[in-house]
Amino acid sequence: MKMTKAIAAALGLALTATTVLAAGVHPGKESIEKSGYKGPETCEECHPGSAKGFLDTVHWKHASKVTNVEGIDAKVEYGMKNRIYVMCNGNDIVNNLKEIPKSPVTGKSKFSGCNTCHPGNHLSDVGSTGAAAEAAVDCLVCHSTDYDFRQRKPFKNEKGEVVMGQDRSTKAALAIGKPTVKNCMVCHEAAGGGVIVKRGFSFTKDTDAHAAKGMVCVDCHKAKDHKMPTGHDPNNWANDGVFVSCADTSCHGVKPHKDADLNRHCAKIACQTCHIPRTGGAFAKDFTVWEQTPDKFYEPTTLKKEANETTPVYAWYNGTVKNTPHFIGPKGSKKDGKSKITPFKIFQGKAYYNKQTGELLSMDFAQPMSDGDTRAGVLSAAKTLGLKNPEKIAKEAVPGWQTIYFGSNHLVTKTKALYCANCHAPNGVLNFKDLGYSDKEIVKLTSPELFMEKLAQKQKEEW
Amino acid sequence: MKKAVSVMVLVAVAALTIFCFGSVASAGEEIKMVGVITKIDIAGKDAKTATATLKDNKTEQLVVITVEDDLTLDKFKDHRIVEGDEIRCKYEVIDGKNVSKLFRKTAGC
Repeated sequence: MKMTKAIAAALGLALTATTVLAAGVHPGKESIEKSGYKGPETCEECHPGSAKGFLDTVHWKHASKVTNVEGIDAKVEYGMKNRIYVMCNGNDIVNNLKEIPKSPVTGKSKFSGCNTCHPGNHLSDVGSTGAAAEAAVDCLVCHSTDYDFRQRKPFKNEKGEVVMGQDRSTKAALAIGKPTVKNCMVCHEAAGGGVIVKRGFSFTKDTDAHAAKGMVCVDCHKAKDHKMPTGHDPNNWANDGVFVSCADTSCHGVKPHKDADLNRHCAKIACQTCHIPRTGGAFAKDFTVWEQTPDKFYEPTTLKKEANETTPVYAWYNGTVKNTPHFIGPKGSKKDGKSKITPFKIFQGKAYYNKQTGELLSMDFAQPMSDGDTRAGVLSAAKTLGLKNPEKIAKEAVPGWQTIYFGSNHLVTKTKALYCANCHAPNGVLNFKDLGYSDKEIVKLTSPELFMEKLAQKQKEEW
Repeated sequence: MKKAVSVMVLVAVAALTIFCFGSVASAGEEIKMVGVITKIDIAGKDAKTATATLKDNKTEQLVVITVEDDLTLDKFKDHRIVEGDEIRCKYEVIDGKNVSKLFRKTAGC
């Protein structure tokens, strides 16, 4: 009898949970309504260990060990916490969230910093650990669909410390669930200095085949224990050690097409090459010359286009990355047996280089944002990073350009995908010469002979 | 003679005015501007339309923009876009309204 009751109770609970989940409602509503939301400790009632686990992810640390990039220390963690490259030119260390010097024109200041998107409260900042850090995690900024962003603003507390506010209202907590596109885009759409600047894509039904099907970011970037799978973008180094690929068996598999000839292409051509024929976003920035904006503060001079307004460049990519002061991009070749022809968003940035060592220098944005003095920004960063003779370094710093190949992994299309003649033609989108093909191979690769009979038959069937 | 000259001057001024400002008022043409939000009017969480008043950075004129796209409306509702934000905007004049085609904050991290 006891056993029967226990089984009935278990089935009842399971049914309730299933019903709640099927209805898209996060369980625990009654408990939150009754006790209010107290931050991560409320979440921990059902998800014990989550906050501590989250502190060991890239979203909290903004860094990880990196194994596929040349010229860096395998024992050191790299990411937006400490990297120096020309999309941002600063990082969480030199551009720690702070109040910038007052504008000499208006006398006004403002808060600025690379770590404004960090999901802590800034007192517990990038990479912090311990009980205070666990309690500082802003679970709701990623998990609530009713977050009031007026609360998420930096301010100074009574000790003069800069604190990032959070919405910890019961109202926001009652709207929790799997992160929506909006939750991710709160930070990711404005990275690099504005909307559609860094990555150059928007994830809407009009711009992406996956979004058009109602998918959200975490359907592909499916996290386990908050560890987020990513692709192999040559410029996105930090990772949680898990990766996502179109060819995953739960997605498209290694033979995604009905046509065997198309599937044969998958051995040498990345899916993105045909299915992401356009890109967008910033294509050039100048950190040595900042433009005054209408509020009389300054921003780096930036040239940009909308999503789908620029064309990618194509290169062989084997997942490893060349990393020099003037170039960050894919390594690979036609002959290595591992590489695929892959599209990239090209970006070029101008910044200051160390005259003595040739290394790219970092910049603290506080001073240039206030009055446009970029060398003062270099000086401040050099001091923060403990470089020897920072005044000399800043005074002698030499402007120069760095080219970066960004991964082009969104703006997926089925209907506008490249087809045979887009590439296999004398004026095709792929530069076979640059990709290492011989003249003889190019003659063959750019002839309709490759597809004439098949496409003629298909055309006949279609009409 | 003086009258004829005056008329000609008036006509010339009128033509110049139409030439200079004609594009601003013409329907169907996309107009670009950057300005700071001085006011947002939106009627609650279920609103399907809102208006935002922008102060044009170049002309300092106030321009009332009608916003109808879900993405921007959502940003008004959860206050990701608020008064004081600088906006890059493209709009078209449709039935006398400046209807937004692109409405984005200029700032980022």
